[in-house]
Formats: sequence, C-alpha cells, structure tokens
Amino acid sequence: MRNAYLDQFPDEARVIKAAFWSSFIALAIGGVLGLVQALHRTDVFRFIQSPDYYTVLTAHGVLLVIVFTIFFLVGTFTWAVTTSLDRGVVDTRFTWAWYIMMVIGAALAGITIFSGFLESAPSILGSELNADVLFTFYAPLEAHPFFYIGLVVFVVGSWLAGVDWFRTWLAWRRENPDERIPLPTFMVLTTTLFWYICTLGVSLSILVFLLPWSLGITESVNPLLTRTMFWYFGHAVVYFWLMPAYLMWYTMLPKFSGGKLFSDPLARVVFVLFLLLSTPLGIHHQYLDPGIAEGYKFIAMTNTMFLLLPSLLTAFTVVASMEHGARQRGGEGYLGWLKALPWRDPIFTGMALAGLMFAAAGFSGMINAGMNINYLVHNTWWVVGHFHLTVGTAVALTFMAASYWFIPQLTGKELWNRSVALGQVVLWFIGMTFMTNAMHRSGLFGLPRRTAEPQYQGFDFEPAVGTVGEINMQVALGAVILTLSLALFLLNMVMTSIGSNSESIPDNTYADTLSGAEDSPRILDNLKLWTAIAVVLVIIAYTLPLASIIDAGGLFGPDIEGFRLSTWVDPAVIESLSEVIR
Amino acid sequence: MVSRPYYLLIRMSSGTEQREPDHVRTLGHEEYDPIGTAILIGIYFLILVLLWIFMYFVEFLGNGPTVVGMALTVVGLA
Repeated sequence: MRNAYLDQFPDEARVIKAAFWSSFIALAIGGVLGLVQALHRTDVFRFIQSPDYYTVLTAHGVLLVIVFTIFFLVGTFTWAVTTSLDRGVVDTRFTWAWYIMMVIGAALAGITIFSGFLESAPSILGSELNADVLFTFYAPLEAHPFFYIGLVVFVVGSWLAGVDWFRTWLAWRRENPDERIPLPTFMVLTTTLFWYICTLGVSLSILVFLLPWSLGITESVNPLLTRTMFWYFGHAVVYFWLMPAYLMWYTMLPKFSGGKLFSDPLARVVFVLFLLLSTPLGIHHQYLDPGIAEGYKFIAMTNTMFLLLPSLLTAFTVVASMEHGARQRGGEGYLGWLKALPWRDPIFTGMALAGLMFAAAGFSGMINAGMNINYLVHNTWWVVGHFHLTVGTAVALTFMAASYWFIPQLTGKELWNRSVALGQVVLWFIGMTFMTNAMHRSGLFGLPRRTAEPQYQGFDFEPAVGTVGEINMQVALGAVILTLSLALFLLNMVMTSIGSNSESIPDNTYADTLSGAEDSPRILDNLKLWTAIAVVLVIIAYTLPLASIIDAGGLFGPDIEGFRLSTWVDPAVIESLSEVIR
Repeated sequence: MVSRPYYLLIRMSSGTEQREPDHVRTLGHEEYDPIGTAILIGIYFLILVLLWIFMYFVEFLGNGPTVVGMALTVVGLA
C-alpha cells in the first residue's frame, strides 16, 4: 500500500502544493527576467529601454529571493513539521489563511513593480504606481506605498506560518511530553525564531519610515537608518532562504545517498548557531557606508567569521553522511567512494552539485566578509556572482532537485521524466559555472553591478586574464543555459502534475541517523535560552550603531523633526498645539 | 516514524523498472570512519588558502593597500 505524503496528510498536501506552485510561478517569471538583464547588460541583445532595466532588476530580485524562496520554504517547513511530528497541523483553515495572505502580499508588490513598464502608470494614493527600488529597497529610492504594504502583508503571512508550525509542535509536545524535538521540526523552529528577530527590523523600517514617507505623511527619512535596518534583516534573510536547503541536505540527502545522517547533535548545534548569529552581523553589508564607525563594522566582521563555523560543520556532516551512503553501497578507497554515489538520481545529483557550488561561494563570501578586501569588490559584479552561487544555486538548485521528490509525494503521480530531470540539474550547474566565474572575475577589475550599460566612452576595463568581451559572452551563454534548464524544470513539473496516479511513489520518510538525538545534550532543545541569547547579541551589536546613526542624522533626516501632520490635520490645530508645546 | 532506505523504493521513469538495491554492507556508528570526508575538507582548505594568497596579489599588488589600520584603532581603543 502506498504511503506517500498525500496519503498521510491529504489536506496539508494541498496547501504545500499551492505554496510550491506559487514559488514555481515566481521562479518562471523572475528567471526569464534574469535572461533579459544578462543580454541587456552585456549588450548582446537589447530590446528594452535602459531605464526599464531597473524595473526588470527589481522584479528579478523580489520575485526570486523573496517570493520564490519563501513560498518554497513555507511548503518545505510545513512538510517537515507534519512528517517529523507524524501529525497534521492544528487547523488547515489557518494554514490556508497565511498562505492566501502571502499570495495577496506578493501579488500587490508584484503588480506595483510591473506597473513600472507602463507608458503612464496609474496614479493611486497621490503617486504613480511603480517600485523601481531593487530588492534592497532602502532609501533614498522610494516606491509606491502598495509595494511596501505588499511586502508587509507577505511577511506577516510568513509570521503566521511560523505560528502554525509552533502551535503544531506545542500540540505534539502535549501528547509527547518527554520526547526530544524531532530534528526536522527543530530546524524549522530555530529558523522561524531568527526570522521573527530579523524581520522586526525591516518591518519597523517600512512601517515607521518608508511607508509614511511614501504616503507623504513624513517629509523625509534618514537614509542611513533605513539602510541599516534593511541590512539588519538583509543578511539574516539569506540564511532564511538557505535553511530549507540545509534541512534537505541534513534530513534527505543522506537517505538519497544510501546512508544515514552522520550526527543529529551536530545538526542541532549548527541550527542553534544560525539562530544566535544570523542577525547581529548585517553591518558587514555596509563596510563602505560613511556614518558608521569602523569599530562597529569590525564587530560585524567578527560575528560573520564566527558564522563560518556552522557552514563548515555542515560541510563536514553532510559530506560524511554522503560518504556513509557511498561506503554502504560498496564504495572503497580514500576518494574512490565518490564513484559509488547515485549520480544518475537527479535528486541526489542536484543537491550534491548545489552543495559543491556552495563550497565555492564560501570562498567569495569570505572575501565579501573581510573588511579591507571587501573594498575591492564592493558594488561590483563579484557580489552578484557570489549570490548567484548561494541563493541562485545552493538554494535554487536544491529546491528544484527537492521538487523532483516533493511533487510526486504531493500529487501521488510519478515524476514525468528522470533523464530530463538529471539533464536539467546538470545544465543548471554548467550555466551557473559560466555565469558566476565571469561575474566574479569582472568584479576584480571593478565592473559595477546594478548598471544597465556598463560600457563607458574613453575608458576600458583591463582584466588581468581574458577580455571584457569574453566575460560578457560567458555571462550571456550562462544565462541562456540557465533559462533552458529552468524551462526543462517547469516542463517536468507540469507534465508530472497532469500525469496519471501511480502506486509506486516512495514512502514519505526522512533520513535515519548514525548518532541520534539521544546523543545530544537536552539543553540544545531549550529554545527559550537560545532565543534570549540571540536577542542579547542583537542588542550588543546594534544598540550603539543605531544610536550613533540617529544621533548624527536624526530619525527622519537631519533637522527634520518628524511627522508632517499638516497633511492630515488642520494647520490651525497644529499651530495651537505648537503654542502649547512651546 | 521508521525510515526505510530510499533506494529500495525508488523506481525508474518507466514505472516498471525497479532499481536494484545497491547496499553491499551496513556500517554502524562505530565501524564507520569518514576518512574520505576529511580528505575532501582538507583539499577544500588548501584551495581556500591558495585563493586567499591569490587575492593578496590581486588586492595589494593590483590596486594598492587598503588596510584599515591597527586593530586597536579599529575598535576605538587607541
């Protein structure tokens, strides 16, 4: 008898399937826009006006790193909680409610961005509907209020998803008071906790500063303050994207390799470290911002380097789990065991190649994190190369590979074509190799990012190796291969979904462990303790920098005292109030 | 929930061809020694060191030094 996820939790399967399809739609649109950008920037094929490049760039960024990743995350986490607790969510109506809320938020932000393409965008609430503010939407770039409202609704939806996972876990705990938190649920809960901590900053930034400013309620903002509050969230969010990929690497990849997870306690330590360290290091994105003292930047760099620890622990644990599988499959020798891994399985190969790219990203990330050497690559295409290795490959390729397992689990239908799937993950790896190596190299000679036409008259970039033309061709070729890979992925997903039911879907299970929860200290499961320490670390890292920024530039900019109340209130009332205050 | 090895359950795209179990032995916690992993991680560290040396030349010989100063100055103690 079949025992797929759909058979165990049919109601939850419907919500998760909807979340995955929402993420696939965002991936499809955002991915195609990536091709448009690559061809435009490299001057291979330009069919949009250069000012529209920034609309494309904003849509590409927001759709891929917010909508695609987070919809996939909520689906994966709901699967992980219900599978590992072996019980459904408390109330699927609540689950549908947060999902629909996220859809409304994403649609509102998306429509606002795409209005930027219109010749004359409609004027709503007193301003033109557009949001050419890039994914990093801090001031001085200003979007239409609907963009900010959409983001807030989306994030609140994700908060409620967190509430859903926590209440499901609490319900399970009442029934199993002495049990350890199962590892997948532990990963979900720790990730959700740091999501709450980090999104608090960006929510305040939007609700107190950017949205009132965009609505015309306040006259101005302190740009450095909104930048700092964005990056307070902006680095932790990269771990939020990454944690579902980690969850798959820890709890599924060992199984696909034919082995067991090497160590449950190590996995718990890694997730605790992410809870502690994800947020108090955002200032490392602001090494070049004047107005933040170097000492604070130095503290952020130190915290960032500490965060290499859980990533290196992960490299060890995940590779050791794969090696365990390979040796159980007959692998021998110091490195000969690599040949015994199931390289014909698209799920395994996709995740393994994603992990390999992540190792390369580890190096470029260390360069970004180094305070002095960051000056060399800051705001260049190097950084774009870096995050196409992390979120663009480690995360996206893992999600696509995982989909080859998830969609049959959620639909009860067999994967349409495993060979196409295998070709797809390999193509993604090849395309990204072309694109990102060229991006990294171009950063070393200063080719800027966020620029529609990086071709300048009377000035030539001088690469140490190769030519600018060769680098551009690699980027364009890489983007074409990636788009082809994306099309194959979507084709496989559609064909699988419209296929016929199958009885031969694997059981819905996750990897067993060599060293289980019983080997890990109970204190690791003390979520209150770790959350308290995480909050203290954030306070230590951010109180002084924020106080100093506000002291130097005011809450709403220098010499601006705050709300332009006259927009809403009779000036006579203001005058009399002012008299009283004086 | 008891997890069953994936390879026992996976099927090829034809839907009829069952993949043969590739297990030739079962390795427990005590008998498994992840030496291959240690070698791979060692190679990775070596690559990191070489790339760091490469970046030294790129930065310091290519564009001039941009060192931020003594550690004490950086943390505002001197």
